[in-house]
Amino acid sequence: MIIAERRPLSEILKNIEAYERIMVLGCRGCVAICSAGGDREVAILAEALRLGREKKGKPVQVLEETFIRQCDPEYLEPLKDIKDKVEAVVSLACGVGVNLIADLYPDIRVYPGVDTTFYGANLSLGEWVEKCRGCGDCIIDLTAGLCPIARCAKNLLNGPCGGSQRGRCEVKAEMPCIWHEIVERLTKRGELERLLEIWTAKDWRPAGGDGLRTRFREDLLDS
Amino acid sequence: MENSFKIAILCCNYTNLAEREDLADIVARIEVKRYPCSGKIEITDILRAFREGAKGVMVAGCARGTCHNLRGSDRAERRVVGARATLKELEIEPERVEMFFVSRLDAGDFAEKAKEFYRRILKLELKERTQ
Repeated sequence: MIIAERRPLSEILKNIEAYERIMVLGCRGCVAICSAGGDREVAILAEALRLGREKKGKPVQVLEETFIRQCDPEYLEPLKDIKDKVEAVVSLACGVGVNLIADLYPDIRVYPGVDTTFYGANLSLGEWVEKCRGCGDCIIDLTAGLCPIARCAKNLLNGPCGGSQRGRCEVKAEMPCIWHEIVERLTKRGELERLLEIWTAKDWRPAGGDGLRTRFREDLLDS
Repeated sequence: MENSFKIAILCCNYTNLAEREDLADIVARIEVKRYPCSGKIEITDILRAFREGAKGVMVAGCARGTCHNLRGSDRAERRVVGARATLKELEIEPERVEMFFVSRLDAGDFAEKAKEFYRRILKLELKERTQ
């Protein structure tokens, strides 16, 4: 899922400084699952903003709302009338949601309430770890399902590097060296020779180097 | 005139059997909000108590291992951690909210902890006023 983290309150308060009536808008997609922008986080942020503004002697009215998703136009439709009700929206969706609101509703002043950080897995309550960089040209079929682009600090396509020490990464000692794990796993499977194959150069264009990334599925497109 | 020094106590229904006279030493307005379980106390409840004028918020749950919902007071403790982080961001002393594990059905323990918390908040208030 997309992982996000609430932006510092000082930043959000600065963004809404000029307004007296705002809405905190959550999303029940990824950001709800990673406890950054679901119903509960909407309530907490709304209360924190009210408290922060009371403290400054400049109270703010904060409406609270959470949509099923903010990355699909149809779920954003209730925003059509929102600009008459509030002066600004703080969206707790990932950057996709904020951008889509800005695209579809240019009259709404929308501000990000979270920083969108990475694609990750929820390993335990309160702990999320990056597993995918979204580079668009998957190579994990060659690396035993473990992604060196996302999980190697140097994004190496041939590792381990000289800094790998006892299976740990030299950049972050708490992080396992993913290339060490790839080699170990392939050895165990008797497939280490796969790493001797010469791979074609990785295509970095789908990683964003070729401009805005899009995807079309013709059988679903409206003709 | 109403005392503007207010302490909010958010507690589990089973941890607060104290009567008004048990808390008579506390020279502050005490606002008690009872919950069916301290695990039901949300970060928003704590923040709201501050917005409504509390100078300190005491969160009280059953002593560890005695919550009849098993993990209620552990959850409350985590919510206090979350509320403290938010207060810090708002430049409000995080120690103005504190978790207390209280013996079930023992008014004395609850009252003692409430008095202890009151003294700490009073100290913070006096420090703030002299600055």
